[in-house]
Amino acid sequence: MTAGAKKRKEAPRLLMGNEAIARGALEAGIQIASGYPGTPSSEIIENLSRSAAERNIYVEWSTNEKVATEVAAAASFAGLRALCVMKQNGVNVASDFLLHLAHSGTRGGMVLVSCDDPGALSSVNEGDSRPFARILEVPLLEPGDFQEAKDMTKWAFELSEEIRNFVFLRSVTRMSHASGSVIIGDLPAETRRPAFRHKGSLLDPDNGPVISLFPGIPELKHGPQQEKLRRAADIFEKSPFNTYQGPEKPELLIVTSSACSLYSREAVHLLGLKDRVGILKMGTTWPLPPELVKRHLAGTDRILFVEEVMPFLEENVKILAAEAATDLGIKYFYGKKSGHIPSVGELNPDLVLSALRKILNLPSEKDPSDFLKKAESIAASAAPHRELTFCPGCPHRASYWSIHNAIELDGREGFVCGDIGCYTLGFLPCGFGTLKTIHSMGSGTGIAGGFGQIRRFAMNQPILAVCGDSTFFHAAIPALINAVHHRSPITVIVLDNRGTAMTGFQPHPGLAVSAMGEQAVDIDMAEICRALGARVEIRDPFDLEETQRTLNLMMEEAGGAQVLILRQACGLSPEKKGKKLFEVKVDESVCVGENCGCNRLCTRIFRCPGLLWDGQKKTARIDEVICAGCGVCAGICPSGAITKREAQA
Amino acid sequence: MTADPYNIIITGVGGQGNVLASRVLGNMLVRQGYEVTIGETFGATQRGGSVMSHLRIAKEGVWSPQIPRSRAHMIVSLEPAEAVRVLKDYGNEDVRILSNTRPVYPVSVIAGDVVYPPVEEIRSGVQALVPGARFIDATEEALKMGNPILSNIIMLGALSGFTPLPIRRSDFKAVISRFTPGDALDMNLRAFDKGRELMKKGKSKSVKRKQKSHGGKI
Amino acid sequence: MRVFGPKELQTDIIEKGLCSGCGGCVDICPYFRSHRGKTAMLFPCTLEKGSCYAFCPKAEVDLDELSMRFFGRTFDGSPLGHHLSIQISRAGGRVSSPNFQAGGTVSALMAFALMKGIVEAAVLTDREKLLPLPRLVKDPSEVLRCASSKYSAAPTLSAFNRAVREGIDRIGVVATPCQALALAQLRSNPLQKADFKDPAALVVGLFCTWSLDFRAFKDYLAGKMDPSIIRKVDIPPPPAEIMEIYDDQGKREIPLAEVRQLVLPSCSFCLDMTAEFSDLSVGVLEGRPDLNTLIIRTERGMEIVSQARKEGFLFTEDLPEENLKHLAWAAANKKKRALVKIKAEGLFNTGDGRRAVLRFSDEAAGAILAGEDGK
Repeated sequence: MTAGAKKRKEAPRLLMGNEAIARGALEAGIQIASGYPGTPSSEIIENLSRSAAERNIYVEWSTNEKVATEVAAAASFAGLRALCVMKQNGVNVASDFLLHLAHSGTRGGMVLVSCDDPGALSSVNEGDSRPFARILEVPLLEPGDFQEAKDMTKWAFELSEEIRNFVFLRSVTRMSHASGSVIIGDLPAETRRPAFRHKGSLLDPDNGPVISLFPGIPELKHGPQQEKLRRAADIFEKSPFNTYQGPEKPELLIVTSSACSLYSREAVHLLGLKDRVGILKMGTTWPLPPELVKRHLAGTDRILFVEEVMPFLEENVKILAAEAATDLGIKYFYGKKSGHIPSVGELNPDLVLSALRKILNLPSEKDPSDFLKKAESIAASAAPHRELTFCPGCPHRASYWSIHNAIELDGREGFVCGDIGCYTLGFLPCGFGTLKTIHSMGSGTGIAGGFGQIRRFAMNQPILAVCGDSTFFHAAIPALINAVHHRSPITVIVLDNRGTAMTGFQPHPGLAVSAMGEQAVDIDMAEICRALGARVEIRDPFDLEETQRTLNLMMEEAGGAQVLILRQACGLSPEKKGKKLFEVKVDESVCVGENCGCNRLCTRIFRCPGLLWDGQKKTARIDEVICAGCGVCAGICPSGAITKREAQA
Repeated sequence: MTADPYNIIITGVGGQGNVLASRVLGNMLVRQGYEVTIGETFGATQRGGSVMSHLRIAKEGVWSPQIPRSRAHMIVSLEPAEAVRVLKDYGNEDVRILSNTRPVYPVSVIAGDVVYPPVEEIRSGVQALVPGARFIDATEEALKMGNPILSNIIMLGALSGFTPLPIRRSDFKAVISRFTPGDALDMNLRAFDKGRELMKKGKSKSVKRKQKSHGGKI
Repeated sequence: MRVFGPKELQTDIIEKGLCSGCGGCVDICPYFRSHRGKTAMLFPCTLEKGSCYAFCPKAEVDLDELSMRFFGRTFDGSPLGHHLSIQISRAGGRVSSPNFQAGGTVSALMAFALMKGIVEAAVLTDREKLLPLPRLVKDPSEVLRCASSKYSAAPTLSAFNRAVREGIDRIGVVATPCQALALAQLRSNPLQKADFKDPAALVVGLFCTWSLDFRAFKDYLAGKMDPSIIRKVDIPPPPAEIMEIYDDQGKREIPLAEVRQLVLPSCSFCLDMTAEFSDLSVGVLEGRPDLNTLIIRTERGMEIVSQARKEGFLFTEDLPEENLKHLAWAAANKKKRALVKIKAEGLFNTGDGRRAVLRFSDEAAGAILAGEDGK
């Protein structure tokens, strides 16, 4: 260790939660990290990939979360420490393997990080991954601040090796994407040499084959797994990650975890309740350490659960309280079940404040001050709602334009099954309301395949699906195989914007680069589809006419599953960002404006943020600060008023 | 610093460089010995939506990454309408506001469903409520410097004379060179200096500029 | 005439199946487009008055007003409409084409008009396999390529609208009755644009009893043969009652009764068999497959016919009385059938602000309804 590193160790650094988790993993000496991008988890693998060369670790963006957990598990089987990262939805994808893995157990420390998104700030569902720990019967940790995010991640590997099973670490958006002070620790100097020992007996956990379960004899594997969980609970009894702040006998005990512990602390601070309300912040939330919880329940009659999404702590503590009812007596519980804490959406200090006020009969909040009333009235006119939209220069806007038009021209009430990515927004006006179903990764193609089969009962509607390039590899391929195999007459449109755009441009199997920036084999999705036997067309979505024409022909001729690849890089992609391909201008003298013949097609319907409507001149114009110079609007202008000229380099 | 924690909200629209601004500012203040907690939104909500970074500047301790309502001490807005939006949720009699003048129009405004009032109207409304609120033409200056994205750095520079917090050029230089590639350092420093200069100039010009209308009725 | 907007066009005409696909609303704006014979509205347009509605031959058409505008008299409901003379005709020695259906009069007239510069460009209906497609031609030799009948609806007027936007101000058009009617409304400047000039220099109308729904027709044929190798479609004059389809293997005949099932619903609302709002109307001549019937309606039409005759582009002679009677009988029957239908649907001369398909005097309506049925 150099002197510089020692000095660095002492000064706290401002780290994002995800950076802290990545740092913790490095300090734990991981040699393998895998994951699939998903907000709010992506920065963990991104950070590790930047350290890959320096730390001599292997980092990959896997094809999907299930594969990611398998990759990490292999490293664990060979005795290495391995980290696997995903957003909450990814745990659903990985869960099949994880239940097997929980039975077989692990060797080298393995930690699964799931980043949940309460409030669905960047998700299309609001799931809670914590109940998976209970279903999988593995330990669950939840950091409550940034230092803990690092320390807990590091310790999770030790726990994993101690109990010989993987450990689940759950973060949330307000931890992962928030930043705070972290004092970093040393990085290990040694690396482990992997070896997969498999010649021992079937039941030898160190040297035998790694098998999830012996059919018909669950006690051989499932039994020991539950024993591991009991050991974890014992360890958790003394864990420093469970903290209590407050009087010995509080009037009200808050039981909380994760970012909610910060909201709870703030609320107690603002109400000056430090001497009346205690906060039991749990870092080890499954299995709950029963003695610790009972000890705290014994000191109060009233308990408030402050947590997001599912009433996970609430239910598990209630079970413990019921089991110990003869000792503890009657308790009053407040939380999601009582309605004091909202059962959906993100929490914040104010929601905890109002719960505390209600429970403790504190004077309710004063009416809004004059100031706020005035601010509210200014905002009513001066802060127009910002609906979500595609970025300027986004190829999806062009793609949806053509898809929408093709469907309308076709006239048979065709529809598009949507999927997960930026293009999910296609159900909104920015995508001309084109998407009619949206579910999980790859589901668009799967659902479309099903619709295709019911056409045999005289349904005449054309059936389309969209999926992104990363989504294609992640989960759409099996659905496409199913559709091709069963001759489902659907058209799958791959919106290939050359990267995992939504989450910040991570590479995927279709690109020739890996997470570590190394050369990778770029897998040609068109060739895959052709090999399946699907008709494949590739078009540039910026060529609106050609895209629409192709799509109409495909819809008319759909005999079996066919694929249209619309290929155009994302406007924020490294090769395009900040570079205008075209200088776009509006000739005001030609613009038809709101008159018959146009009626503001570009600003009213196409709605690219780079366009503006000048209400005085009654013409469109370009917002040169926003315009990305893609030039697509020139193609939709009916009067030729919008012109594009190649931009000077 | 009068309050502990001192609460800053940096707001704007997705793509304006909100996150970079908050992280640069946070790191500058860490260098001054503060303990800083930042909460932010990005992801889907960033696609054309409002974005906010909450900074808690404290002598010690981690604070909620979401500032409680009505408890901002400083609002830095990269877009005028966003200043108003934040003011309504987090404002109070003592709040200070520093806002860019250049609107980023919501698509509902572009589409003509909703009206975006003249910036002058927003400014006078805000100043009636928060007399010391300052509006600067950060984007226009950034355009003059060749890249509108620099407006976030100009806003940081402008903030240096506008808050009791120690916002130092030397800290900015040290931090920004960690965040951006080497050749951008000089440009960023010039943008930071431009922000400071605008605040000095603006004080004497503010009366005159009130006469001038910014942005047509859209 | 009462003018409404795109919303009304969508609800009254397109959604109710009254659209004949003439293309009158297509390519004047980005909202209405035609695809495979059907008109679609791509996006909502919020205007209260639009050219799309004003031009539509099924939306608030005021025949008295149009008749006054073009012929200086109100609409009288006479079977063949206003005309100056009726002749039989065929292309003269200066033009000939194997594509001619019947006498080739239409091609000859339009080629002549282009050659003489009477029109700068001609809006015609070409086809790609079975699908009729509008085409704008400037070279007389191209006219012949578009010869031959198309039996399904074509958005021909979209090419006219494009030509106007290109700034062409003398346009020739070959139009079916609904297209000619849409064009007549367009030429009346219904939105009262200040800088309006009538861009139609010659309108040659085609006799038409009905038009097929292209998609239904193609699907029907697909059940019998490979539609992609069809070269020509023809309906020989009555009493044949068949449609002839020519493909690589030769000629096939299909019963007309089956084909009639595929007629656009919109056609049953059409009073006009002979394209009354044109300069010249051309159709078959019963019993003489090598000749056309030619109705001369305007002075401008008369002038072109006489020039074309003089220069050997056209041959004409008087129409025999027997043929005239039969033509008038057929046209009167179409008028009566359609008017009964329109009245039954409550879309004729509606009051209370309700929108109508058609308006003209009750006298003319009475004359039409008094006409005799049967031969």
